[in-house]
Amino acid sequence: MTVRTSRRERRRQARLEEQEQSIPVELYGLRRGTVPLLTALAFLFATFTLIPIAWILINSTKTQANIFETFGFWFARPFDFFHTFSLLFQNVDGYGTYIQWFGNTALYAVIGGVGATALSAFAGYGLARFRFRGSRVAFYVIIAGLLVPITALTIPLYLTYAKAHLINSIWGMVLPSMVSPIGVYLMRTYAEISVPRDLIDAARIDGGGELRIFFRVALPLMVPGVVTVLLISVVAVWNNYFLPLLIFNINTKYPLTVGLGLWSGRAVNSGDADLYPMLVMGGLVTIIPLIALFLVLQRYWRGGMLLGSIAN
Amino acid sequence: MADTLTRAARSHPAARGRLGASWVQRRDRRGVWFVVPFLLGFLLFMLVPLGYAVYTSLYTYRIIGGTSFTGAANYTQTLQSGEFWSGVIRVIIFAAIQIPVMLAIAFFFATVFDLGVAKFGTTFRTIFFIPFAVPAVVAAVMWSFLLEPQFGPFTRLAGALGFSGTNFFSPSLLLPIIIVIVIWEWTGYNMMILYTALKSVPRDVVEAAILDDTPLWKIIVRIKLPMVRSAIVMLIFLNTIGALQLFTEPQILASFYQGAVSLNYTPSVYIFNTAIAGDQTNLAAAMAVILALVIVAISAVSLVFRLRRGEIR
Repeated sequence: MTVRTSRRERRRQARLEEQEQSIPVELYGLRRGTVPLLTALAFLFATFTLIPIAWILINSTKTQANIFETFGFWFARPFDFFHTFSLLFQNVDGYGTYIQWFGNTALYAVIGGVGATALSAFAGYGLARFRFRGSRVAFYVIIAGLLVPITALTIPLYLTYAKAHLINSIWGMVLPSMVSPIGVYLMRTYAEISVPRDLIDAARIDGGGELRIFFRVALPLMVPGVVTVLLISVVAVWNNYFLPLLIFNINTKYPLTVGLGLWSGRAVNSGDADLYPMLVMGGLVTIIPLIALFLVLQRYWRGGMLLGSIAN
Repeated sequence: MADTLTRAARSHPAARGRLGASWVQRRDRRGVWFVVPFLLGFLLFMLVPLGYAVYTSLYTYRIIGGTSFTGAANYTQTLQSGEFWSGVIRVIIFAAIQIPVMLAIAFFFATVFDLGVAKFGTTFRTIFFIPFAVPAVVAAVMWSFLLEPQFGPFTRLAGALGFSGTNFFSPSLLLPIIIVIVIWEWTGYNMMILYTALKSVPRDVVEAAILDDTPLWKIIVRIKLPMVRSAIVMLIFLNTIGALQLFTEPQILASFYQGAVSLNYTPSVYIFNTAIAGDQTNLAAAMAVILALVIVAISAVSLVFRLRRGEIR
């Protein structure tokens, strides 16, 4: 089939393709200086984008006093990075340990994200490639689910949990994260495009069970869509603040967002512990895995799918 | 694997014909089981809570007398409450400024990168997209530090530029800085979507325009813009829905600089404070239902728009 190519080779090819697609700049008949001007504007916005990131990188090395007293965009002595980093593993103010929140977030994001992706892939495939009684209704129900705002759902979930004794239960966080109408919608669209009906029929003639056909034939073809949904779901759980803020009231269950939110409130008042450097370091350690994940999985992103994904 | 199966299918045309439609139908019914797990979750974690919230909103708890059925009382109280409406008006002002500014920036850079008229387009695109990976809580914390009223680098910069005593957390500047934060968070994402939409504009249309000596700005406004209009309309809807739910940024700014953000700053903040701090869960449920209905109405309009254009089949 295809010849295995090195990553560098593939990148080079992608670049060549892109060059072929885009029209050479000279043809636009631009005034001289237009390209430098536009590049400068892009540079300005890139600076705006990177300012907070640069600030958090630089200030993760500073002591509390230096964060406030020294110039924000340059380093200052003493170099406190490793000391502050080690504090993330301790319960400094008695209100919780960062590393535990990190573990909680990772746990919620992995279970919630994988669960949401699995349920979405199953349902999306089922809706795209089967016609059964009620399949049309099921599809419209899911579309209606797209309309329900997350914030509006959070208070109802909280009220229900209070009644059902699910406050402080990790299932209260993880299970609703698995219900992703947008994920189902995206997977259905993707299955429609990428899994040919004939192929499924052929597999049936070969005598595979439906589940086996799904895992062996359909799922491999749906991988780019699966990655997109996984990414969207993991990010959604990782970023979720409102739901965990409501449903957890013991700090050993907090995810990162709620823990950092708590620190940002306590840092102002706490006389005993230097919470500001920990808040900065905590923020830095929170964003690094996600930025890394994005850069690694970038080529899987399907722009058209992005459009659907902002419904949340 | 795929090849073998296709070949198998081709070699059994008779088999396909003989088994016929009834065989396919029977198999198809099994599709239900693919959808059932999701629908179960959907029932338990969307429909049941929403139903329970509506039920709760019809009752009122009083210290004397306990919980009693009060019908629409919580709804009338919410709709007559100036505190609720001031939050609603604030998020509308927020949306009216933030969304056009953000989409203008996003569209501008999307076209620039699509046309390839700036250098290092790929690098800039990646950089612009980075904030999408930053949780809103962390974004709000970083900007809170940068804008901190006494020591924040931007406060000092404002002082150096002659605006000494600038307090970004003061009532008049609070909404503008939240707008800046949200623009920072979402512009790259919106740009990526528009960039992808622009990529689907046929190349020969643009080439023909170039041959006609059409100036660049005309190509952008007359050709590119109309072709991504549906994407832009969708983004307006989706960003509006997001804006109406604004919660994390004001909530974090409130904890960072106490007293700056009122308890009813946005509808979501108000609902949160009513439920938790105020302990009036019945009233909060009514507010949540009202907010949900408003957003569902807006989303439904956008859905009809999408169905009409055939984007959802």
